[in-house]
Amino acid sequence: MSSRTSLQNPPGSTSTLVALADPPVRQVDGAAMDYFLIEAVNALRSSSAVAAARAKKIEHDMAEAGLVPPPPPAKNPTSAQGQRDSMGSVSSKSAAVVDEEEEGVRTRLEAIGMHVGGNFAERLCRDRPLFGDSLDAIKFVCKDLWSSCWDKQVDNLRTNHRGVYVLQDNAFKPISRLSSWEGRNEALRRAKLYVALPAGIIRGALSRIGLHGTVVPEVAVLPQCQSCLSRIIFVRLVDFPTDWLPSGCAGTFQIKLPKNT
Amino acid sequence: MPPPLRLNAVAFISPQNHPILIRTFQKGDELKYHYVAHTSLDVIEERISGDSKSTECYLGLLYAMDDVAAYGYITPLKVKIVIALALTDSVVRDAEVISAFKALHMAFYHAVSNPFLKLDAATNSGNDQYPYLLVGGSKWKSFRQRVDEISKALGNVTST
Repeated sequence: MSSRTSLQNPPGSTSTLVALADPPVRQVDGAAMDYFLIEAVNALRSSSAVAAARAKKIEHDMAEAGLVPPPPPAKNPTSAQGQRDSMGSVSSKSAAVVDEEEEGVRTRLEAIGMHVGGNFAERLCRDRPLFGDSLDAIKFVCKDLWSSCWDKQVDNLRTNHRGVYVLQDNAFKPISRLSSWEGRNEALRRAKLYVALPAGIIRGALSRIGLHGTVVPEVAVLPQCQSCLSRIIFVRLVDFPTDWLPSGCAGTFQIKLPKNT
Repeated sequence: MPPPLRLNAVAFISPQNHPILIRTFQKGDELKYHYVAHTSLDVIEERISGDSKSTECYLGLLYAMDDVAAYGYITPLKVKIVIALALTDSVVRDAEVISAFKALHMAFYHAVSNPFLKLDAATNSGNDQYPYLLVGGSKWKSFRQRVDEISKALGNVTST
């Protein structure tokens, strides 16, 4: 089982200088970390729903008290029923409200990612020399950051030498096992939320290095069904897509850096 | 047996040249070590902005003043660490100073990974400031404790 290292100093370390300079590396179970990240998105979604509901209530109360003009008539708040990805259908009555909530979750995920990414960069930079230029920093992200977070390196890096970099990963780990029983488009839509945290990690690492830019994630292709001939009939009869063998899922990150770097 | 190194002061400076933490271990005046840290900044700038032959993090001896010698280190994330060692006649080995810097960098990393720092910082600082200026403040004690530990460890290092 792959394990990812969590680098923490155990309390009560010995007081020799060498031990302090190179603390022993602690490890975290890789599968547990993956589950945690998946569930974190769900937990944050319900948490931000609660926060949004609270804000709306306060607005409503203030409007009633006459302190602020009443808000424009809001559409029906959608599904109080769970929006967990592992269950059920999202009844999209008003797509606008859903998107607004998703924006809230995405910003929170990105903020968390920024903190994590910054600290990752801080730890990984310890034993390497200074960065030459911004290309150097992006290469550091592609190699060191990617392999310590997601166990592989970026598959393709392209740049237009004017501050835009495109990082392509053909089997991006957080979304490599994502599927939705409603079809590929639905799965693509859900995947957008799950890449918010990794995008935040990249952005945080870059901003700690000193390059403040934007990171835009794109998900092009999700796990496809690779069925052999004998099964095609089966799928048509029952009519739901299953993915037995993920054949490829691409995630692309587009990084825009300001021109003077 | 040569006497152990005496660490007089440690200074952490942010990428925007704001002080994060200046910790002194001598009974003398603290202001002197603020001054030492400040002048080290100039020397560091000189060394960094020279021709890009230097990709080393450890900057070595920056300069020596009355009774202290200042050594510098810059992380790839542009955080500068300056330590002031009491001048001795004995040879100061690079390896020891480098491991002292690495230990200080680890202490900084631990202090800064605290997710509760942002709660405090969000109310005070603007967006452009380095968000971890508060880590040296008096509310966050563990950073100082770690730095104290490192200075004790440095004092205990004996030649082998």
